[in-house]
Amino acid sequence: MRIRRFAASRAARNLPPLDNSRDAMKIKLRFLLATVLAATTFVSVAHADQLADIKKKGEIVVGVLGTDEPNSFVDPKTREIVGYEVDLANAIARKIGVKATFKQIAVAARIPELQQGRVDLLAASLTHNKERESQIDFSLTTFVTGQKVIVKTSSGIADVPQLAGKKVLTVKGGTQEENVRKAVPSVEVVTFETTQQAFQALQQGKGAGYVNDEATLVNDIAKLGPAKKDYRILPTNLSTEPLALGLRKNEPALKKVVDDTLAELEKSGEADKIFLKWYGPTTKLQFDKRSFKIDSDKI
Amino acid sequence: MPGFDLQLLLHGQYHDWLLAGLLVSLKLAALTIACALPLAVVIALLRLSPWRPLQWLGATYVEVIRNVPLIAHLLFWYFGAPELLPDAVKERLYAGSYEFVAAAIALTLYATAFMAENIRSGIRAIPAVQLEAARALGLGFLLAMRRVVLPQALRITVPPLLSQVIILWNDTSIATVIGVGEMMYQAARVESAAFHSVEAFAFVTAAYLAGSLALTAVAAWIHRRWPVRTL
Repeated sequence: MRIRRFAASRAARNLPPLDNSRDAMKIKLRFLLATVLAATTFVSVAHADQLADIKKKGEIVVGVLGTDEPNSFVDPKTREIVGYEVDLANAIARKIGVKATFKQIAVAARIPELQQGRVDLLAASLTHNKERESQIDFSLTTFVTGQKVIVKTSSGIADVPQLAGKKVLTVKGGTQEENVRKAVPSVEVVTFETTQQAFQALQQGKGAGYVNDEATLVNDIAKLGPAKKDYRILPTNLSTEPLALGLRKNEPALKKVVDDTLAELEKSGEADKIFLKWYGPTTKLQFDKRSFKIDSDKI
Repeated sequence: MPGFDLQLLLHGQYHDWLLAGLLVSLKLAALTIACALPLAVVIALLRLSPWRPLQWLGATYVEVIRNVPLIAHLLFWYFGAPELLPDAVKERLYAGSYEFVAAAIALTLYATAFMAENIRSGIRAIPAVQLEAARALGLGFLLAMRRVVLPQALRITVPPLLSQVIILWNDTSIATVIGVGEMMYQAARVESAAFHSVEAFAFVTAAYLAGSLALTAVAAWIHRRWPVRTL
């Protein structure tokens, strides 16, 4: 807001005589720039209480990736968005007594969409980290994963340090780029709009490695069928990523309902069932058991 | 809401990223303009040539290219086209920064189609009798074009070509989808790393605006230096 007022008042102070068209042009430009800045600055309009708004609307809008099996993806048979995070969000909607509406968003758009009020809740494979805490609030941690790198077996790369000086591929707007740069400072990173494009580029040989959450990598490789023997997941974790649902800042009522629902799912054993349904031994991901509990929003 | 952190744009890591992005954008735009303009003259001449198959060739190029969105061109030249090449060639290509090459090819071909139409309109604005008179004096088609028609036509074409060049400058931002480290890409990087979206995109907006205004100034100078002189 401060910028807008600043620029507008400057423009007002410099108002030119009407016959001076050159100055008028300058002012116009300044106004244009000020408008652009103002438009990008408008972030959140104050709400009395988001939970009350959700109840009044009768729906909670949940931002999901929709392209990230098994957290949220489109079921090819029903054409509906399903997944681990979708089940959690539905449980929360049921608890509030409203309908959950799922909205697909891009990785880089997650936090802006939430801040600008276009979604009420993020269930979008969102890493909970310190930097983001200044922007949004997080629910209890709903999943813990490591970020890893896949390479082609033919590349001869055996572990993360050998990526030095090589090109790795990943998605824009997540924590992947930062984590791989921290692990291997000399690495060259190229980012794409979706994880699928990054993985596609790896398959075409446009980079040496592809960075993502381990669960996503396992799932991506599983889709390759017999060709999956040509790929290898490097053993070292780049980082451990606690994933959580994202909430707008300072909405204690909504945060309480979300956390209570998650804690209840954990207590009743339902959380374990949902995990096994999407990640368990009968799925592509074949995790035997859950290595984390949904019981804390601290990282 | 944090305030506008000007320091972030003046020095430090994010400043370096954005500046690197600006440099890549400028390089991409300069290379594309340098390749697209001569190519556009060729396509325009193809469309106006006295020989039918050449006219068809030019028309097909323009219609195929300009009726498909730029983002599709970029994805095609990055993900699609190189896969048809033999493995050895592919490996050599990918070892370099193929993102930039693919973006330059896609942008050049795309801009050429539009510029060719502008130039063709300019040529058609020159009375046909001039070409006929030149031919009657014994000049061949190409020589008549080069010495008589094109010098006049290109002057007429400056304003629409300027618009096209500005569009091209702004369109370089779309190259971010294939991972070219241009300005938009770096601004998004600053945004995800530090949430300084306002600063990053203010920089980008100002840079595109400044670039476009500079191009406008160059075009105005060209227009004065080589004014329209057509009978």
